[in-house]
Amino acid sequence: MAQIEQSDGGKKKKGAQKKMQIHVDFTPMVDMNMLLITFFMLCTTMIKSQTLQIILPTNEDVKKEQQAQAKQSEAITLILDTEYEGDKPKVDAETGKTVHNIYYYEGIADTTFSTPKYLRREQFIGNQNHQPQGIRKILRAKNEQVMEEYEKLKTQWKNKEITKEEFDQLAKKNAADSAKTRPVVVIKPGPNTTYEGLINALDEMQINQISRYSIELPHHTDTVLLKRYEQEHGETIIRPTIRKK
Amino acid sequence: MGKVKIKRKSTLIDMTAMSDVTVLLLTFFMLTSTFLQKEPTIVYTPSSVSEEKVPVNNLVTVLISSADKSGKLEDPSAVEGKLFISFTGDADSTFSSEKIRQMMLKEALTIYNDQHKNAPVSLTNGQIAEFGKINMFGVPFRVLPEFLSMSITERDKFQGDMSNPKVGIPIDGNKNRDGRLNDFQIWLKAIYNVAQTINNDQTAGLSPEEAKSVQNLYAALMRQGEGIAVKADKDTPFTTVQQVFDNLQTMKLNKFSLMTALKSEDEPTQ
Repeated sequence: MAQIEQSDGGKKKKGAQKKMQIHVDFTPMVDMNMLLITFFMLCTTMIKSQTLQIILPTNEDVKKEQQAQAKQSEAITLILDTEYEGDKPKVDAETGKTVHNIYYYEGIADTTFSTPKYLRREQFIGNQNHQPQGIRKILRAKNEQVMEEYEKLKTQWKNKEITKEEFDQLAKKNAADSAKTRPVVVIKPGPNTTYEGLINALDEMQINQISRYSIELPHHTDTVLLKRYEQEHGETIIRPTIRKK
Repeated sequence: MGKVKIKRKSTLIDMTAMSDVTVLLLTFFMLTSTFLQKEPTIVYTPSSVSEEKVPVNNLVTVLISSADKSGKLEDPSAVEGKLFISFTGDADSTFSSEKIRQMMLKEALTIYNDQHKNAPVSLTNGQIAEFGKINMFGVPFRVLPEFLSMSITERDKFQGDMSNPKVGIPIDGNKNRDGRLNDFQIWLKAIYNVAQTINNDQTAGLSPEEAKSVQNLYAALMRQGEGIAVKADKDTPFTTVQQVFDNLQTMKLNKFSLMTALKSEDEPTQ
């Protein structure tokens, strides 16, 4: 391939030049290319970061009367917590992922502890065999009406009955449909929650098509509930804050 | 007896095919990848199911340094929560990253000096020009003159040392009683002001194409909230990230995005 044959048409003429074989050695070329490839592989990235959009409310003091009150039946509060081992987040030996716990209650905080449901614990498990597990299952059940419609839209999109743009638009409209029973989720990251824990919680909102949620800091009543949970289960949940800042 | 003749084979290997393959590979890498941006510290962002891509142009990234993971430091959290900001302007317009950065620096300095009349910071034109070339920076205003007169390698070394108290944009003192903004808030305000002045005043004398890119910049920065992306490590405590959120909220930038890596819905989160 790299030789160039100089053919003389088969006729031998007197004083014809000797057949020359020109061989181009491509080895240095390959060497150089390999170096360039290595350079590009090390200095570039193929993974483009994704973004997750969030909208936070104003942090100015809002009068109680002006605050939008959620219906008690719709509200669900998630208190996030990350387990620590020493000063590093605890990693589950099996999955290699950080252990996050979610303590949740529905409606307003039940400080009389009349039902065992005053506080329950779940984890971010995701899906197992395409079935939602853990906290996802609970949130999904809360948002059942929206999710049913969403699944329908998804099938339509997969069957190419509607375009991606139409799907996005309809899904957004569906998630904000006030005719349906939709939950209001309050996410309360505890002092030891890692950033990943928060992102996981926000992810669940997106997966479960929950359009109404807010991020708040834990309140005194939440501590009361956690303390009671500690007593009942004989566990230490409220640990000293890892970062003393 | 005839001798067995061993045919001498040429050991020349034809490298042409190999060369073809490597060139193809090279082309592939050049076309599909983007260059890594130099960042003073490495953070591993958490993964999310969100599929929105990070915009390439007109982006303000706020990087929050993570705790020390090498285990060399006695207190790993000492290096945590240092802030860095990077501005990326429009790639193909009159408002390139370099120009935008210089405008923002000038604006930020005006605000800073207005608030710190006793100890103003002044920069030479050369230093301001130098600032335009820096992708990501994280030093307080009072360290800027020193920082900008360093060479590139010195600067990287300086910024890379997270335990240096001179590294990181100060963020404490949110909502000060005397109304004084902290350094981080001054930067945010400068970004906002620059985006607004560009949008209001300068669209007049520009060609339609230029005006459009200016409006894009403004929209990206301010209206859609895509303009500010917070990048933090997955193991960073929420309280550290919250501090940044709180400052953004104080500056009335309630809409912003968080940088994440992609994962699928089915993947276990734990």
